[in-house]
Amino acid sequence: MRVATNSYSAAMLNQFNTLVSQQDNLQSEVSSGLSVQAPADNPGAMETTLDDLAGQAAQTQYNTNITTLQTRATSVYNAMDSLQKLTSNIESIATSASSGTTSQATLTNDATTVQQAIQQALELANAQDSAGSYLFGGTASTSPPFTATTDASGNITGVTYSGNSSVNKVPVSATASVSIDVPGANTTGTGTPGLITDTQSGADLFNHLLALQTDLAAGNQTAVVADAAELQKDDSNLISQIATNGAVQTRLTNAATFATTQATGLATMIANASSTDLVQTMVQLNQAQTSYQAALQSSAKIMQLSLLNYLPT
Amino acid sequence: MIGLLGTLNMAAQSLQTQMTGVQVTGQNLANVGTTGYARQTVDIQSTPDIATSIGPEGSGADATSIQQVVSSFLNSQVQSQQSVSGYWSSQQTALQTAQTNLDEFLSGTAGASGSSTDTSSTGLSAQMSGLFSSFSSLAASPTSASAQQAVVSQAQNLASTFNQVDSSLSSLKDSLNSSLTTDVGSANELLSNIASLNGEINSAEFSGGTANELLDTREQDLENLSKLTDIQTTTGTGSAVNVTIGGQTLVSGSQVLDSLQTYDAGSGQMLVQTATSGTALTLTGGSIQGTIDARDGTLATLQSGVNQLASTLITQVNAAQDAGYSATGTSGTTFFTGTDASDIGVNSTLAGNPSLIQTSGTATAGGDNSVALQLANLASASQTTLGNQTFSDSYDQTVAGLGDALQTANDQVSNQTAVTTMLQTQQNDLSGVNVDEEMTNLMGFQRAYEASAQLVTTLNTMMGDTLTMKTA
Repeated sequence: MRVATNSYSAAMLNQFNTLVSQQDNLQSEVSSGLSVQAPADNPGAMETTLDDLAGQAAQTQYNTNITTLQTRATSVYNAMDSLQKLTSNIESIATSASSGTTSQATLTNDATTVQQAIQQALELANAQDSAGSYLFGGTASTSPPFTATTDASGNITGVTYSGNSSVNKVPVSATASVSIDVPGANTTGTGTPGLITDTQSGADLFNHLLALQTDLAAGNQTAVVADAAELQKDDSNLISQIATNGAVQTRLTNAATFATTQATGLATMIANASSTDLVQTMVQLNQAQTSYQAALQSSAKIMQLSLLNYLPT
Repeated sequence: MIGLLGTLNMAAQSLQTQMTGVQVTGQNLANVGTTGYARQTVDIQSTPDIATSIGPEGSGADATSIQQVVSSFLNSQVQSQQSVSGYWSSQQTALQTAQTNLDEFLSGTAGASGSSTDTSSTGLSAQMSGLFSSFSSLAASPTSASAQQAVVSQAQNLASTFNQVDSSLSSLKDSLNSSLTTDVGSANELLSNIASLNGEINSAEFSGGTANELLDTREQDLENLSKLTDIQTTTGTGSAVNVTIGGQTLVSGSQVLDSLQTYDAGSGQMLVQTATSGTALTLTGGSIQGTIDARDGTLATLQSGVNQLASTLITQVNAAQDAGYSATGTSGTTFFTGTDASDIGVNSTLAGNPSLIQTSGTATAGGDNSVALQLANLASASQTTLGNQTFSDSYDQTVAGLGDALQTANDQVSNQTAVTTMLQTQQNDLSGVNVDEEMTNLMGFQRAYEASAQLVTTLNTMMGDTLTMKTA
């Protein structure tokens, strides 16, 4: 077969370009760990990977939301726990004061203690999270939900609630949303029970404390007995709320585990779709390098062959 | 009987003939690396016999012509494949640029196992995920200043990327139109060259000469024209080649009957027609049609998809946002401005004061997250205007569509390169110069020349002997 002299160089050039391009692509795969980097590399795998990356970003976001909720849930729990302890303490005072043997001086001192407890409860009921959002205002969380009215001495004589009974729900998975919030008051009889005032449980902490303070100051031990019974409802309501908070926190932990598992699964799917098989790629790279060396060496030999080398000068 | 003088003439003629062979060999060797050069051979024939009483007597040999070694079949095959190669190459170039402009690539770093451990994407996909994530964060903390600022920043990034992608794709469309104009200009120049060469070739051959180099040049021009557009060639008067493009004969003999020009078919969509008759041409190959198909096919679909995505995002986000209230109870601050990818932007009022984001469903509850939740839920909501797909699915499909088209172009270019290379190798093996062969030919001609010279010497001696014999 006749072969033109410049066919050699043209063919060699084509082979060199092909082999260099192969090595370049394989080296890029090895360094990035990706067999798919551009849409044209594998359109189907690219589409799947982009879908999975979006899913992974969503799962990461769910975890971020869960962390935010857990932080807020801890703040809510701490406030509720303090309130419950405060209520339990006052309930003990009320029980003790209603024994019928307590002196008026002691009752007056107890009334002062209750007034201080009301102040403390007000502070707890108006607690904020790290972002400045009020914990117990319902969705009206941008201003203090509880406002006190005071007498000339600065003693609280009444507390009004300016929040609402709605609560926010936050997505923690593609199909689930969780609410960690507790409204300060819920007098609708439905929905999330109120923390301080709640129709369903009969809780009305501030009014019950104010009534107890008044009855203690007046030495009305009969009324104090009734007040102690009312405080029992407040205490029960708070304990119930704390239990609910614990349950929600457990749910958040489970949701976080689920989101992490989902993200890990998606990472595996991304790796399956777009990651390179290192062993196979390295073997291919070695083959390409060997082919390139062989092409260079054989080309050098062929280029040296010419009749001119054998003709007498 | 031709006698001593006749034999001397025959030897002299032989010297001329072998010298012609050496000259042709030299020409071939000189053009061993010349692209498009077809090797030449000298046609040596015996001169007519002279009738003598003892029978016909030879009178030597003469170089009757210098021929090119070419195959018109291979030439036409190469032209045809060049046209297909040109079509796919121009598509590949346009789509590769679009892929770069879209900037949707995966990146990662190989881990211990070799697989990527931190695969991430660039471009609109990641930006959209970022925006929806920021909406979700805002739903978790609707009054958080940092969450509000994050939403605005993510939205600005996304809008900026939309603007950039649209601008790049529009620039690409303009570049393709410019490329069309340039290619059409090149095609016209080649048509003009081919017509001129037709005339020159016929003139040279009419006067009994050869026009091998002009034929080579014309063949190169035809191949180059084939890369630009599909052509049909027919043999014209003499050795002329007539050229037809899109059913219109543009070159007939040495005449350029018409030329090509681009025209605006509307909205800057440049197409090709004949310049004089104004006939719109339907082409099927070559870089000109490849450019047109890439521009009006995949790229138009891509740009339309990106615009539809941006338009739907603007509509949906604004619809949710407009029904809400900010944490301080204000309303009426639109989120996105603009209508599509070219002009989408974040409302400057909102950008300057992120606390105006309307996350609440009621004016009296600043901490309500119902609108923020709606915004976050857009991530997984099917959109009618996106073919009942989510934003992410729609965009991913658009990206895959571009990838499919470019992959096809890459495969076609690869296949066509192989086919064209094979044909060119065949063409080259037939018409190209082989140095060893030429050196062998050279030795043959040289030896023949030496022999003829020796004949002259011998005849000279014989003639001298004859003259000596006469004087003696």
